[in-house]
Amino acid sequence: MTAPTTTEPPEGPGPTHPWASVAQRLEALGPAELERRRREADRLLLADGVTFHLHGDPPGRGRPWALDPVPVVLGEDEWARLERGVAQHAALAEALLADLYGARRTVAEGLVPPELVWGHPGFLRACDGLEPAGRWLVLLAAEVARGPDGGPMLLGHRVEDPAGAGEALENRVVTSRVLPRIYADARVRRLAPWFRALRAACRASAPAGVDDPRIVILTPGPRHDGYFEHAYLATTLGWTLVEGADLVVRDGHVHLRALGGLEPVHVVVRRVAARWSDPLELRSDSTLGVPGLLEAARRGNVGVVNHPGAGVLDDPALLPRLPALCRRLLDEDLLLPSVPTWWCGDPAARSHVLAHLDELVVKPIARRRGANARFGWRLTADQRAALAAAIEAEPHAWVGQARLDTTPVPTLAGGRVVERRALLRTFATSGPDGWTVLDGALTRVADSDDADVISGQVGSHSKDTWVVATGTETATGFWLHRGPEVPATSPTATMSSRAGENLFWLGRYAERAEQTVRLTRHVLDRRTELPPGVDPAGDEVVAALVEALSAVTATAPGPTHGSTPHRLAAPEAELAAALTDAGRPGTLAADVRSLLGAADAVRDQLSGDTWLVVSNLEGELDQLAAAGAGAPDDARTTEALAAVLKSLLALAGLANESMVRDPGWRFLDAGRRLERALQLTELLRSTLGRARDTAAESLLFESVLTVSESIITYRRRYRSQAQLETLLDLLVQDPGNPRSVAFQLDRLAEDLADVPQPAPERLGVDEELTLEVGALVRDADTTALAATDGDGRRPALVALLDGVGQLLERTAVAIDAAHFTHLEPRQVLAGSVEAPDEQVSGADLGGGPP
Amino acid sequence: MSATGDAALRYRVRHTTRYRYPGEVTTGYSEARLLPRTTPDQDVHDAALHVTPTPADRRDRLDHFGNPTTYLAVQGPHQELVVTATAEVAVRPYADRWASAGTEPWERAVARLRAAPAGAPDPDPEVGPARELVLASPLVPRSPALAALAEASFAPGRPLVEAVVDLCHRVHAAVAYVPGATGIHTRPDEALAQGRGVCQDLAHVLVGAVRSRGLAARYVSGYLETDPPPGRPRLVGADATHAWASVLVPDVGWLDVDPTNDAVPEGRHLTLAWGRDFADVTPLKGVIYSGAGEHSLDVAVDVERC
Repeated sequence: MTAPTTTEPPEGPGPTHPWASVAQRLEALGPAELERRRREADRLLLADGVTFHLHGDPPGRGRPWALDPVPVVLGEDEWARLERGVAQHAALAEALLADLYGARRTVAEGLVPPELVWGHPGFLRACDGLEPAGRWLVLLAAEVARGPDGGPMLLGHRVEDPAGAGEALENRVVTSRVLPRIYADARVRRLAPWFRALRAACRASAPAGVDDPRIVILTPGPRHDGYFEHAYLATTLGWTLVEGADLVVRDGHVHLRALGGLEPVHVVVRRVAARWSDPLELRSDSTLGVPGLLEAARRGNVGVVNHPGAGVLDDPALLPRLPALCRRLLDEDLLLPSVPTWWCGDPAARSHVLAHLDELVVKPIARRRGANARFGWRLTADQRAALAAAIEAEPHAWVGQARLDTTPVPTLAGGRVVERRALLRTFATSGPDGWTVLDGALTRVADSDDADVISGQVGSHSKDTWVVATGTETATGFWLHRGPEVPATSPTATMSSRAGENLFWLGRYAERAEQTVRLTRHVLDRRTELPPGVDPAGDEVVAALVEALSAVTATAPGPTHGSTPHRLAAPEAELAAALTDAGRPGTLAADVRSLLGAADAVRDQLSGDTWLVVSNLEGELDQLAAAGAGAPDDARTTEALAAVLKSLLALAGLANESMVRDPGWRFLDAGRRLERALQLTELLRSTLGRARDTAAESLLFESVLTVSESIITYRRRYRSQAQLETLLDLLVQDPGNPRSVAFQLDRLAEDLADVPQPAPERLGVDEELTLEVGALVRDADTTALAATDGDGRRPALVALLDGVGQLLERTAVAIDAAHFTHLEPRQVLAGSVEAPDEQVSGADLGGGPP
Repeated sequence: MSATGDAALRYRVRHTTRYRYPGEVTTGYSEARLLPRTTPDQDVHDAALHVTPTPADRRDRLDHFGNPTTYLAVQGPHQELVVTATAEVAVRPYADRWASAGTEPWERAVARLRAAPAGAPDPDPEVGPARELVLASPLVPRSPALAALAEASFAPGRPLVEAVVDLCHRVHAAVAYVPGATGIHTRPDEALAQGRGVCQDLAHVLVGAVRSRGLAARYVSGYLETDPPPGRPRLVGADATHAWASVLVPDVGWLDVDPTNDAVPEGRHLTLAWGRDFADVTPLKGVIYSGAGEHSLDVAVDVERC
């Protein structure tokens, strides 16, 4: 063993290196243009909805990741060496995993110290002897740096959470769009073939005899920092994005709770941490997993990739043992050297680590809460003493690693290209003839010029990696598939009940938000047009509209509650709150936030353009909050409202023009129709429930028609002063007016007739209720509705609208009961014992990454 | 090895677990470790698990430690789950064997455990795999207090069996058996500090103390004879599942010691399962789906001679 070396960085790439020509082209663009391209990359990422979540971020709010469009360029020769090394490493990892959960020859022969198996939290005793239906490993992420000799050096790998392949692909998509000419001329090797191999490898993980497996990707959900990638892989590879509650084990087989019933699942691409993946056998407090998943896997009824026990391999203490393991398990010499690593469970290595604490990186053998890598040279003497004590207390839990001076790569910073330290993460996937390595990588870059540590945070600072080809590349898509034709599966089969439910609510929230914007905008217009105290009819109309806003949005306690006269006299603060107070249900801000949450939960179902609109909404809402605080009449508010409305209309347009009429679209549309009918019913009830004097009533009719987008039709059709009978005809009964109640009910009935029928044991009354409310609306007599009683009320109209409103609310409940699965709460049986997560002794040692 | 010779004591075991739910449960998944295992000193006959309502899916397997384990899924609505395990168990008393066993100092066992399996495999095949049981485990983390307790019993050169029996006395004296004094997540050093605990705590304290010396110890769950023969005292912990510890003595076997009764078992301890600590041998655990409130749990254990 040698002391860690601090070498001079090797010479940069020479003039014959492919980087030289790319560099020349970049230089020719000039700093201003480069900076413009970088901003363009930001814009494209945002438009694709590429965000990542950190714990604590509100739902629907992601952070953009930072992409540097200047690629890392590697020649085919240097790449070939790395590729062979990573492929061999992955094969070795798989062989070792099979041995550790099987015969354990490597332990019996002393090649793997028992502590690295028995003492590693990634070794799951529940998985001992669990032979997978397909491969032990399907996907491996390798962290590689350029070593002191300029050749590749392995820093470690990830098989428990091999994240980043999706990020690498998205970086390629964006980089090739912002540098199209340079990219085309460089003849960069394509990433698509590797993703096809990944898809094939996952198919091959299905139980024997399943020809056309259904593959799902199991995600912890939108709050997880990897959620974008999970949804991205699902969309790109045609998998179904599911959360734990979407899956259920019946008779030892895994099923998807799909719209219309249970559908078999054959492969689970697991992105939920193994210990959380099955609350029956592992962490009983997990709500992210599926009870019985391990039993189904044990019986060979489902392929789980990667193997739930794979985490035992994510152990840096194995690195120094790889040369011997490679000879034993593969009968080959190891190709890819690893960073010098000393496992403290070995007394000689421990002495070395303790004697060189100030120059080593000290890491726990497993990622655990409160146990980060510590950089010896940054620690104070006290922190080093605490670290030494922690190592002495539990030596097998620690390793020391040499500090590696990674080779700097050209990076764009402040408009110029500078050198920063970087790490490559590339990916390998298993195939029938060995492992396939991605022809590219996710390169992550240090945050500043002098940083000696590269953040492991997903999405921090990354860039594309080009492997430059010498031959010609044939362009192919992801879907090239040699093999037997497979019949198309029914579209319902791939949608979870949860996705259907979220689309339904997406439709409802989008419609609510749209109606709130229209109504608020109109109230503001009327206040400008009819200043208070000038005309009593004007005052009455404004008051009625403010009241209607409160009723329609249900923002109680709204402008009409509390000390009413006072609030109606000066409703500015309440109007502003109805727009921007995200904490109060019914406000525009709350609706948009819920809309974003619902959209986030089904992001694999939505097109790229839809994301463009959705991501704009976030920013527009921020502008509205900035403009509208306390001054709703401000012109900036009107402008901001117009922008929000534009996005909401774009969302509605995309739903009509870009979505296949599958059950998902049907539920989205049903939500919109139901909500529009409800909102209109409430608007009519609140404004027209009682008669007013002619001047006020005429103004109010005009308002109702304007808010309902029907004023132009009305004027053209009736050419007269507004009358209640004709107004009701147009807004309630006219089946040809896309804003009428009748129109919504027809569409709702159509939607419900076209979704998968609920399981027989469910009483589906949603369609009956829709017909009932349709009949109620159709049979009403507008003359009778317009009649007033002695107190100036319109009892028939109010009765009809109350009846319609109640039936619609019941329809909403019935749709939910018939089509969407709500799990009973999960409980843990008394007596079940949860083993606490193993913690590193010596709680706070300090000195973690900044 | 058979335990059916003249010396074997025969028992009939009946272990009933009853969950009552205040409302309907739609689906319930459970994992049971309720079928007694066969050991070098124990034979098991006619072991069976009766479950009501009948599970739609069940399957038996052996877990990592070789304990019989049953997966159960009740897939229809139910308001009660009753799991009854029955078995006939023949146990051979073996205290005498230990009285005459090895006089080798305990350090020798530590050295053999430490050496395996780096060099040549240990002549005793139990030694290699036992490395797993030297390490700390989730419910028995390392603790200076447990190490200090062991130090007093493990004087240099003392024979291993003698040291373990002495440690058993110390644990018995240090932690009084007080039902309800602790919960299932109480750490052994906490039980030791408060001086009170249940059989699980006493077993964990002994296991942790033995491991602190570099020796292999496992946690054993099982039963005691419910009603003693005339003239013999009723053992503590006889009305439910019991727990004790077991220590590897190379070349001889695993030495069971019961710190709750301060005794080396003499044929009245029936082994159910073993593991690193209680979390590995939970008799019945599960996940249910129900909107109803708190459920109740009753356990009844009956062990009779036959």
